[in-house]
Amino acid sequence: MDCSLIRCATGRACYNLRELLEALHTASDAVLEHHMMRCALEDHFELYEFPNDLAGWCWTSLGDNVLAEQLGVVDPYQQPSTAALRAALLNVVEDRLWDLEHPTWCRPGLELHLIESRLVAYDTGERIVTAAAMLEAIERMSRRSLFFHVHEARRRTAGRTDDFSLWLENAGMQASLVTAVREIDFYFLNLNQLREALSEAFRQYIEGAPAVARSTA
Amino acid sequence: MRLLDRYEEIVGHQEVERLRRLAERLAGKRIVHVNSTRSGGGVAEILGWMVPLMQELGIDAHWEVIAAPADFYRVTKSFHNGLQGLRVSLRKSDFDLHYEVNRENAARLNLQADIVFIHDPQPAYLPLFTPPGQVGRWVWRCHIDASRPHRAIWKYLETAIARYSAAIFSMAAFARPLACPMFLIPPSIDPLSDKNCAIPEAERLETLARLGIDPDRPLLLQVSRFDRFKDPLGVIEAYRLLKPYYPAVQLALVGGSADDDPEGAEVLRDVLEQAGGDADLKVLMLPPDSHRAINALQRSATVVLQKSLKEGFGLTVTEALWKGKPVIGGACGGITLQVHDYHTGFLVYSPAGAAYRIRYLLRYVDKRQRMGQIGREFVREHFLLTRNLRDYFSMLLCLDHPESRTLVV
Repeated sequence: MDCSLIRCATGRACYNLRELLEALHTASDAVLEHHMMRCALEDHFELYEFPNDLAGWCWTSLGDNVLAEQLGVVDPYQQPSTAALRAALLNVVEDRLWDLEHPTWCRPGLELHLIESRLVAYDTGERIVTAAAMLEAIERMSRRSLFFHVHEARRRTAGRTDDFSLWLENAGMQASLVTAVREIDFYFLNLNQLREALSEAFRQYIEGAPAVARSTA
Repeated sequence: MRLLDRYEEIVGHQEVERLRRLAERLAGKRIVHVNSTRSGGGVAEILGWMVPLMQELGIDAHWEVIAAPADFYRVTKSFHNGLQGLRVSLRKSDFDLHYEVNRENAARLNLQADIVFIHDPQPAYLPLFTPPGQVGRWVWRCHIDASRPHRAIWKYLETAIARYSAAIFSMAAFARPLACPMFLIPPSIDPLSDKNCAIPEAERLETLARLGIDPDRPLLLQVSRFDRFKDPLGVIEAYRLLKPYYPAVQLALVGGSADDDPEGAEVLRDVLEQAGGDADLKVLMLPPDSHRAINALQRSATVVLQKSLKEGFGLTVTEALWKGKPVIGGACGGITLQVHDYHTGFLVYSPAGAAYRIRYLLRYVDKRQRMGQIGREFVREHFLLTRNLRDYFSMLLCLDHPESRTLVV
């Protein structure tokens, strides 16, 4: 599968920490989902400081490094629901505001524009039957495809699994490869790094596996 | 060779295949694009490639252009400036003219379609005069920064926008709250167009010779309409600050005229006055079809500038990045989506900032070249027409399923 991310403006923006808190109370689930998860698809360059928009905005635009670090470790994929994620974020931001005499403001032009997004997924028509073919596919598939099969899959399965390890499991592949893929810290990595981590797990398995296992997956 | 095969050579087989997969879901739909001019300006350029490509992908796509008297373009230029936040003075008769031109065009144009894309404010009132049932969905594609518009103009347009099923803005900062969904789709360039395709070295040199530019000396270039928001006077100031450090440097300010931009001549006069008799400062007013000449100039530039004070998206930035040139851009509008400090160029806030960053890029040749390479790949991934079409198709599919945050088609 591959997918397209279509972003939608809400016409709403945050200029300071108090407005961020208000947004976390009232913004739709789709807004939270975008800024905490789907923003991974907007990674333009090799590295980024934090895996979600909220932490990134606090760091670069508000200059509130403490809050940025705290938001950076909120892992949305570890939360059982969007409501739980919202509660976790509210707790962090409210706690920070509690200690501040004046809420931090950003400079004009650096405001956080709240957006939501829709994902349109479609079948590429490609079918993979062996681990070696999967390695080859991972190395050339789009970043959006990786996102769909890892991040979106975690959401679909309430955090339990990604599509790659589920496929390996169902195909009766070695448990060590399933575990290696499932243990990748995908939320911490950008999509290029995720590709490298997945490739490495498959490559190690293929190089170490007996020839029969390689061809019958 | 089919168009898509040619694009495949640039963006790869997979990318084109994805486009085909999405287009299959929209096959046979009739889509009409409407704008105000067939030549000059970014919208006309986009439609010039988008319509044939949609057709090749099995969509019944058409391009209609409204007809209007010259005075209409004076009014819509004021709309354009007003939407971008400039104080403008409009009379009731100006709004009446806009209203009447739209009414006449609604009767004249063939708008029978599943989806009609209205580009910018000029034809925005067409939905009011089109019989119910003739158009399935109206989509307003706003190419300009409408975040802080002149109130009277926005109030006037809001009446019409209420008839639309969706609006598209180039970036979130350009959008205003509307009742309909507001999709964010940056525009893109056509890598095969005359303005962006590879050109023979002999043609590049011949163009420079014809325009009086020395191919052996550093060239700074800004390509854009002669418009105050593009800050050509600020570019001249930056050039003058730089010149004592790099006496060999040349500056070319290249403007194209557009049918719907009557203000250009006035700004051009100011620019010529500031340029004075400096032989290294060329002010070139090229006809709207000078795409290959602009291509040659961009390929010859050492550094490209787009020192805008307000900008829609800034396709000239995209064009320069695609040609492997670092860009020094005003920190506004869509330029901030494309120019990333130390990656693809530098964002600047003043003529002094522009001069300083030019000095940096002239001094560090290796960094300049590296930024050029990154810029080209950045455009390949984000700002070529295939991505733009993919976004349009995905958006149309979303409109059919408004409740789904994840849509599997």
